[in-house]
Amino acid sequence: MSALAGTVRRLGFSREIVLLGVLIALVVVMTLLDPLFLTLTTLLNTSRFFVEVGLMALGMTLIIITGGIDLSVGSNVALVSVAVGFSFAAGLPLPLAIVFGLAVGVAAGLFNGLFITLLDLHPLVVTLGTLALFQGLAYGVSKAQAVSDFPGWFAYFGQAYLGPIPGQLFIFVVAVAVVWVILSRTRFGRYVYAIGNNEEAARFSGVPIRRVKLALYSGIGLLVGMAAVIYTSRVYTARGDSGVGLELDVISAVVLGGASIYGGSGTIGGTVLGVLIIATLRNGLILAGVPSTWQLFVLGVLLLAAVFVNEFFRKGEE
Amino acid sequence: MSEARAPAERSAAGGTAVRRFLVRPEAPALAFLAILLLAFTLANDRFLTASNLESIVDSVAVLGVVALAVNQVVLCAEIDISTGSMLGLCAIAAGAVSLSTGGLLLPLLAGVAVGTLAGAINGALVTLGRIPAIIVTLGMLYALRGVILLVTGGTWITGVPEGTRVLGTGTLLGISVPVLILFGLFLVMELVNRHSTWGRNVFAVGGNRRAARFAGLSIDRTRFFAFMLVGAFVGIASMIYLGRAGSVQTNTGVGLELQAVAAVVIGGTSIAGGRGSALAALTGAVLIGVILNGLILLGVPGIWQDAVLGGLILLAVATDVLRRRLVGDKA
Repeated sequence: MSALAGTVRRLGFSREIVLLGVLIALVVVMTLLDPLFLTLTTLLNTSRFFVEVGLMALGMTLIIITGGIDLSVGSNVALVSVAVGFSFAAGLPLPLAIVFGLAVGVAAGLFNGLFITLLDLHPLVVTLGTLALFQGLAYGVSKAQAVSDFPGWFAYFGQAYLGPIPGQLFIFVVAVAVVWVILSRTRFGRYVYAIGNNEEAARFSGVPIRRVKLALYSGIGLLVGMAAVIYTSRVYTARGDSGVGLELDVISAVVLGGASIYGGSGTIGGTVLGVLIIATLRNGLILAGVPSTWQLFVLGVLLLAAVFVNEFFRKGEE
Repeated sequence: MSEARAPAERSAAGGTAVRRFLVRPEAPALAFLAILLLAFTLANDRFLTASNLESIVDSVAVLGVVALAVNQVVLCAEIDISTGSMLGLCAIAAGAVSLSTGGLLLPLLAGVAVGTLAGAINGALVTLGRIPAIIVTLGMLYALRGVILLVTGGTWITGVPEGTRVLGTGTLLGISVPVLILFGLFLVMELVNRHSTWGRNVFAVGGNRRAARFAGLSIDRTRFFAFMLVGAFVGIASMIYLGRAGSVQTNTGVGLELQAVAAVVIGGTSIAGGRGSALAALTGAVLIGVILNGLILLGVPGIWQDAVLGGLILLAVATDVLRRRLVGDKA
């Protein structure tokens, strides 16, 4: 089995090229299923749906590289959405409500980070707890009601087009560039890989582990906040169940993109390809008339397959 | 009671009685439960009656049975968050068989078989596939929910015959059957953990995996059976659910996975594995029942349930860390 992986490697296949091949194959299959798929309008429209998952996947990539995980991102989207909507409904001007929402997102991430670093707890347990906590707070504060009487300009974040290009795509491209520079061109980025490869060794080498982790979990809180504002604007409704289950899409995209769930490896390029593959798959399944019930199943199986293939290839590399 | 705890108990032997109590993993949960029971009894003189306590335990029977099995997985230093969808699927299998054959045995077998199969898939992916349990069971949580929607086509199963509902609604010697099942399985798990090879292996594997491997234990087999046990217990729990509800919806069991993990860690089983007991899982489940019951008594709207549950998980894991620091136990 490892011989096969070795052969594939000798052919010069990098993980990104394999992923690109998968993406192209998917697009071809989708086009055969529905000729309308391979049009510029459809492709650009697809991007309206993956920006939210993509933003969170960027932060999740760095966290997974350190060997951590954040299961609470979906619930955090709900919390921020409710914070924006209900502070606006309570009389706060919308720009301030949006800033308040972003602050809530960062605070929620910081809460995760403090809990993980101060008590030396595994992120899995902490974020499993905050998954329920944030969700419950969002439901409780909103009293399971929805707010949707936003002023017209709020639609800009999630529904605007510049020419044929959806507005949020620009935000995503900028975010990808910023996170890529941080991960591959700064000392902080090297710290992230160092922690994931060997936390003990990183500590003895003087890496400020707690500060890096606090920055990462607060950082994903900010990205979740941005994703939540875009999401709320796109569906034009703030509700307590916004974003439920998105953690599956986000983690699947990152793992599909080649980040090892055990930490130490992963790239922004891979994650972006992972996000595109999942978005193409979801959109294609919708276009092909596959019921949404199947999509959950496909996504769950895809996640398992991706991790399995990843670890299989990694063994071949060693 | 446990191998992993034995050194801590020895080191505390010279300590005070308080210290000896503190090193027990269930200590905080038991103390908290006692305080809550006392408070509710003082607040409402009809609280501490046999029938009210029985109805509380009755309401957490499904959760308790699942938590007893998830407890074994957590003791192995693994996790299973697929139980919510698994319960739904088992209930649908049991319900469908019940509608065509009636009776108790065949639906029970169907539920347990489907659960055991799902648990075996979890176990195989974790041990043979070398995929972390959190990813496996997260994937299964969604995949199994997809299967539920697929096989039912979104419709409910209703009108489950009385003969099948005995495990949820029946009474034996004046005690409700769900309560008897819960305490029966609790006793079984206590015996398994104290006196069976697999039960001892679970603590060894979770306490120190390297040491367990060097001692010649099969790490994979021990973990595989823990995941399979979850499936089997979820199958049993699905019969209790089916009996109590009399119908199955496509969203049956949603959120149970969080409650089960919450019950285990609130009860005092360490999320790091190797420390805990079946008593911890039972205590945690009953504690959740008492708290949710208490919230209703206090007039807190049901929409806050998730927030309370999440807060409790965080409180429990934080308490566990602080308690271990207090007694100087590095385990």
